Amino acid sequence: MGSWMKMIKELTIRPKGERQIRKSPAYSFDEDLKKPLSGQTVKEILSKSSDVVFREFFLQGKDRIPCMLAAVDGLVDKNLLDQFILTPLMVDLARHPELTQVTLSNVVDKTLQSLLPGLEIKKISKMREAVDAILSGDSVIFFGNLTEAIVVGARGWANRGVAEPITESIVKGPREGFSETLRINTSLLRRKIKHPSLRIISLKLGDMTNTDLVITYIEKIASPDIVSEVLKRLSKIKMDAMLGNGYIEEMIEDNPYSPFPQISFTERPDVLAGKLLEGKVGIIVDGTPIVLVVPAILTQFLNVNEDYYQRAMVAILSRFVRYVGAFMAIVAPSVYIAVTTFHQEIIPTDLLMSISAGRQGVPFPALLEALTMTVVLEILQEAGLRLPKPIGQTIGIVGALIIGEAAVTAGLVSPLMVIIIGLTAVASYAVPTFDLSLAVRLIRFPLMILAGVLGFFGVTVGLYVILIHLLGLRSFGVPYTSPIAPLRIRALLQDTFVRAPWWALKRRPQLMDVEDPRPNGKG
Amino acid sequence: MKTERGKGHKFILRLTIIACLLFLTGCWGKKEVEDLAPLLGVGFDQGEQPGTFLVTEQFARPKKDSSSGAEIEDRTFSVEASSVREAFEKFSEVAYRTPFMGSLKVIIIGEDFAKSGDFNNILDFFQRYAEFRRSMYLVLAKGKAQDILNLKLRSGLLPAMAIKSNIEGGDEISVFPTVRLGHYLTILGTKSTAPIFPVVESVKSREGVEYKEDGKDEAGEIRIHGAGVMHGDYLADYLTDEEAKGYMWLENDVIHRLINTVDLNENSVKFGGQVLKANTKYRVKVNNDKMEIQYQIKTSIAIDEILGPQKQLSGLEWVELVKQAEKDFAKVIEKECESSIKKERELGLDFLGIGRHIEQKNSAYWKTIKDQWEAEIADFPISLEVKVTIHHSGMSSSSASNSGGEGQE
Amino acid sequence: MERISSHQFVVLGSAVLMGTTFLPIASIVTEVAGRDGWMSVLPGFVVGIPYGLMVISLLEQYPRKNLLQISDIILGKWISKIIGVVYIFIMCYFGGLLLGQAGDIYQSSIMPLTPIGMFYLGGILLVFYLVKSGIEVFARFSEILFPLIIIALVLNIGLSIPRIEHGELLPILSEGIRPIIWAWLKVAPFAMEYILFLAGILTFLPTSKRELVQLKRGVWRTVFLVGFLNMLVVLIQILIFGPGETVRMVYGLLVLGKMVEISRTVAGVESVFLGAWLGALIIKAGAFFFTVTWGLETVFNLKGLKWNLGVGVIFMGIAFKFTRGPDLVMEIGLVDNYLILPFAAVWILTLWGISRWKGAGIS
Repeated sequence: MGSWMKMIKELTIRPKGERQIRKSPAYSFDEDLKKPLSGQTVKEILSKSSDVVFREFFLQGKDRIPCMLAAVDGLVDKNLLDQFILTPLMVDLARHPELTQVTLSNVVDKTLQSLLPGLEIKKISKMREAVDAILSGDSVIFFGNLTEAIVVGARGWANRGVAEPITESIVKGPREGFSETLRINTSLLRRKIKHPSLRIISLKLGDMTNTDLVITYIEKIASPDIVSEVLKRLSKIKMDAMLGNGYIEEMIEDNPYSPFPQISFTERPDVLAGKLLEGKVGIIVDGTPIVLVVPAILTQFLNVNEDYYQRAMVAILSRFVRYVGAFMAIVAPSVYIAVTTFHQEIIPTDLLMSISAGRQGVPFPALLEALTMTVVLEILQEAGLRLPKPIGQTIGIVGALIIGEAAVTAGLVSPLMVIIIGLTAVASYAVPTFDLSLAVRLIRFPLMILAGVLGFFGVTVGLYVILIHLLGLRSFGVPYTSPIAPLRIRALLQDTFVRAPWWALKRRPQLMDVEDPRPNGKG
Repeated sequence: MKTERGKGHKFILRLTIIACLLFLTGCWGKKEVEDLAPLLGVGFDQGEQPGTFLVTEQFARPKKDSSSGAEIEDRTFSVEASSVREAFEKFSEVAYRTPFMGSLKVIIIGEDFAKSGDFNNILDFFQRYAEFRRSMYLVLAKGKAQDILNLKLRSGLLPAMAIKSNIEGGDEISVFPTVRLGHYLTILGTKSTAPIFPVVESVKSREGVEYKEDGKDEAGEIRIHGAGVMHGDYLADYLTDEEAKGYMWLENDVIHRLINTVDLNENSVKFGGQVLKANTKYRVKVNNDKMEIQYQIKTSIAIDEILGPQKQLSGLEWVELVKQAEKDFAKVIEKECESSIKKERELGLDFLGIGRHIEQKNSAYWKTIKDQWEAEIADFPISLEVKVTIHHSGMSSSSASNSGGEGQE
Repeated sequence: MERISSHQFVVLGSAVLMGTTFLPIASIVTEVAGRDGWMSVLPGFVVGIPYGLMVISLLEQYPRKNLLQISDIILGKWISKIIGVVYIFIMCYFGGLLLGQAGDIYQSSIMPLTPIGMFYLGGILLVFYLVKSGIEVFARFSEILFPLIIIALVLNIGLSIPRIEHGELLPILSEGIRPIIWAWLKVAPFAMEYILFLAGILTFLPTSKRELVQLKRGVWRTVFLVGFLNMLVVLIQILIFGPGETVRMVYGLLVLGKMVEISRTVAGVESVFLGAWLGALIIKAGAFFFTVTWGLETVFNLKGLKWNLGVGVIFMGIAFKFTRGPDLVMEIGLVDNYLILPFAAVWILTLWGISRWKGAGIS
C-alpha cells in the first residue's frame, strides 16, 4: 500500500495548459462596476433591462432617508419582499422604538441589527457585489447616496422541485433527484451526510453567466491532492458561458481525446453521498441537475447504485450480466465478422451449414453487411432518442421490426446478422452509464473493420490497443483501470466485479489515496 | 512537453495512417462463409495407374430451405491423383467454391488401397495442413471407399455424416474401436503396437437387417462392424465382430455394452443385459522365470432380459440365478477376449498393445525382448481374470413366461 | 521517475519469463529426454532463482542502478561498454526473433493466406505503443493479461484432458537421468532471458528494505509458478501425443488447441487462445524492446522517440529476415543456447562475485 501512496505523490498530474476559450471583450460596464457603490449608478446600469424593478420609498427615522429596493422580477419571492422588507420598513417601523435614532449615517447598521427580520441579510459596499446580488435573485436596498447597501435574500423563482431522476431510474431505493437549483441540491446532499466534515466550497464561473458552482468533499476522506487538483483545474477555466456540466467536464478532463468518460455524473443525492464517502469530489453546478464526480474509474461506470440496495448475491449476478453485456456490445459484430470470414473452423459444422445457407444470395460481404446494419442501428437510436416518447416507439417498431424483417425477406441481409445486431443493441443497453455506452458504440466500428481485414488477429490487436489506452488513462491522478491494474486486491474483491455483502465491506475501497480508511464508510 | 493539441493531431494522423494501411492493402485470406464448400468426408481407393489413387471427396452444399432452415445437398467427386493436393486442385477446377477442410469428419480408406499400403503418406497432408483437426475419425471400408461415400442413405444423411454419428454413438455399444487421427499417430509413435481401424460397410437389405429398399438391390444403410489391423502401411487382416469386442475389453475401451449369453451351451437359462461400467487393468508379473501379463476386467452389468426359466423363483433361487448370470457373463467376456488374443498370436501383430504395456511396467525387461517382439507374441503368456457384478435385474424378479397359478407366493 | 510495485514486479516478471515458452518447450525437452522430458522443466527454470537473487542483491548494493551501470562501477568503463553493446545486440536480435514468432505462429496455424508482414506490423504496433506509454502501463498491461494467459493455458490443458491416451507417461526414467540433464540445459536459457530483463528493469524497482525482501520472494514465486505451468504443458502434450508426436510438432500447444472440443460441438477454439498467446508474445517482445531502449540510454545515452523508432525498424528487419518458419525456430534455439545462456551466466556471476569480493575486502 505504501508504494501506492508514494506513486500517487510522485506522479505529477499532467499540467493543464491554459485553456482559454472565447475570452470576454472588455465590456463597458466593467468600468461602471469599478465606480463607488450607489443606488443611482446601479439604476443606470440595470434600468435597460425591463425585468429589473426599482422600488423607491422613504424611511422615516430621525431623518427622512430616500431608499431604493432593486430586484429582478421573477427571481424574488414577492410575498417575502412585501411581508418582510417593505412592510417592516415602510409601515411597521412607525411604532418601532429605535426609529427615532435612525439617521443617514447609521441607517445601514440599524437596519441590519434591528429593523429587518429575515435570515439571509448582509451588508455590502462594492458595486460588483450589488449588481451580482441583484442578478442572482437577491434584493438590494440602497439608502440615499450611501456607498453601503443591504442585500436581502428573498429568492423565489419557478423551479422543478425535487423529482425522480430520469437517467438513473431505480427499482428499490430513494427516489429523489437533484434539480436545477444549486441550493436545493446542496440541501439534499446535506440531508444525507449530517457531519461537520462535509465541505461545500463555492465558486463562480463564466464571465457572462456568473454561474454558481460548489465543490463538495469530505475532509479527512478525500485526498487533499485531488481536491486541490480540482480547484486548480477549475480556476484555470476562462470562459464566458457556463451553461451546464458538459462545459466543465471537457475543460477539466485528463485526456479529452479519449472516447472513454473520465468524469462520472449522477443525478441522485444518495449516489453522490456514497461517492463522497469513498473519497471522491463532487462538483455541483447551478442550473443543471447533473453533478460531476471525480476521479472516475472504468469499473464504476458499470456499477449502479441499486447494487447497494439489493442483496449481495443478486447484485453480483446483475453486475456480471452488465460486464458480459458490455463485452458483447463491443465485440459481438466483430467476432461474427472474423468467424464467418476467417475462422470458419470455430463454427460447429451444423451451424456452419445454416449460416452458409442463410447467407446464400446475400449480395454483400459480411463486413459490409455488418457495418451497414450497425450504422442503421445507430441511426435508429439517434432518431428515437430525441423524439417525444410516443413517436419514439413508432421509430423502434418501424425500424427494428419492419425494416429488419423486410431486409431479411428481400435477401439483403442474412437472418443471423439481424440477430447479432439485435443482440449487440440490447447488450449495449445493459451498460448502465450513457457516457460509457457511447464509448462502446464508438469502439465497435474500428474493431469491425479490423475483424474484416485481419480476422481475430485484428480484433485482438484492436482490443489490446484499447486496453493499453485505458491503462494509460488517469482521472485526476488515479489510474483509470484501478483496482484491476494496478491491483488493489481488497477493492477488487469488495466492490468491482462483485459486491461483497455489507458486513464484509470493512474498509473503504482504496482506489485512491484515502486519508481515513474507517470501517463501513459507505453511504 | 508536447501540447495537448499537438498530441491530438498526431493521434488522428496515426489513426489515418493505420486506416490507410488496412484499406489500401485489401483483405487477405478472407473467404465468405457462403463461398465455402465444407468437406465432410474423404475416401481413398487404389487408382488405375500405378502410384496414383482415387480420391473421393464429399462436400456438403448448404441450400436455403423455404422454412428458414438449411438443407444439405450432396456434392461428391472422385478424382484420380498422385497426391491429395493434386486431387483438390482437380476438384477446384470443377467446383466454384473453396474447399473448407475444417469440417472434415471422417477419412475412409478403401480395402484395396489399405492392402496395397502407402497410406501413411496420404495421411501426412491431414496432419500437416492447418485447417484439419486431429480429432477426425479414420475408418476402413469393406469394398471401395468411393462406393460408401456415394451411397444414398435412407436417412437422408450424407454418408460421411452418418459414419460420424455412428462412431459418436458407439459409446453405447462399444463393439468397435474409435480411432481419431491423433490417436492413430500416437499409436504409430509407439513402434511396437499395430494400429487398428474400425470397418465401415454398406448394408443391403437382408444382410443382417431388413428394410424396404428404395432402388433395386442398392444398399441404403451403413454400419460399423468389426475392425482391421494394420501392419506398417498395409492392412493385415480384419477382426471379426467377436475379436473386435475382445479388443475393446482388453483395451479398457468399453463404456456401455449390450451383452448376452445366448451362445453359451452350458446353461439353459440365457441372459441379456447392459454393461453399466467396465474397467480393465493389467499387470506384468514374473511367473516361473517368465514374464506374464495379466488382465483384470471388472464390470457391472444390469440384466434386462432372461430367457428360459419356467417357474417363479423363490428369493434364494433368485440369488443363485443372479450368481449364475455373473458366471455366464464372465464366460462370454472371456471368450471374446480369448478370441482376440488368439488372433493376435496368429497374426503376430501386437494390436492389443501388450508390448507397450510391458514397456510401461518393466522397461528393463522390454529392452531385452523388444527386437524379437513379433516372434514373442505367439507364446507370450497372457492370463485373464474377469469379474462381473450384476447390479440389478430390471423391474421384475421373474419372467413373464412362467405359467400362472404355479408357485404364487 | 516511474516506479512499479513489488506485486507488479512479480506479475510482469512472470509474464516475461513465461512469454511464449509454453509453445516450443514440449518439443524441445521431449526431443532430448523423451517421455521424461517434463521432469527437466521445473529444474531448468529454477536456475533463474540463484541468478535472480544475485541481481537483487546487486540492486541492494547499488540502488536505482541497472546492471549496466553497476558493471560500469565494478568493471570499469570499457569492459562495461563492450558488455553493453553485446547486451543490446542480444536483446535486439532476440526481440526481433520473437516478433517473427508472432507471424510464424499466426500464419502457420490459422491464417495461412495473410501476408506475414501484417502480423509483424500488428505486433510491433502494440509493442511500440506499450513502450511509448511507459513501464507503468507495461506493468499494468501484464497485470491484466497474465491472468488471462494463465486462464487460457489452464483451459487449454483442462479441455484436452479427454484426449489423453492411457499410459503414455510410463515408463518413468527408462533411459536414466542423463537425458534429463541435457534437457535441463535446454530449458535454462528461458530463465536467463528473464534474468537479462531483470538486469534492465532494476532502476524501476522499489529499494526499501521491506520491498527488497518482497522482491526476492517475488523471484521465487515467479520461477516456480512459470516452471510449474510449463511442466503441466509438457506433461499434457506427452500424455496426449506421446513422445514421438510431441517432438514432431513445432507448436504442440496450438495443435492441442485445435483438438479441444466442447461437448462435441464447439471445436477449433485455437483462434481464441491465440489471442492470449499473442498477448504473451507482446509482453515478451515489449520487455526486450524496453531493455534495448534502456541499454541504449545507459551505454550511448541515446533516448527519445527517434531511437525508439529505430529499434522498432530493426525489430521489423530481423523479423522479415526470418520469414521461413523452420529457420526462425532454429535461430531462436541457437540464440538461446549459445548467446543468452553463456552471456547471462558469466556476466552476472562475475559481477556478483566481484562485488562480493570487493565488499568483503572493504569491510
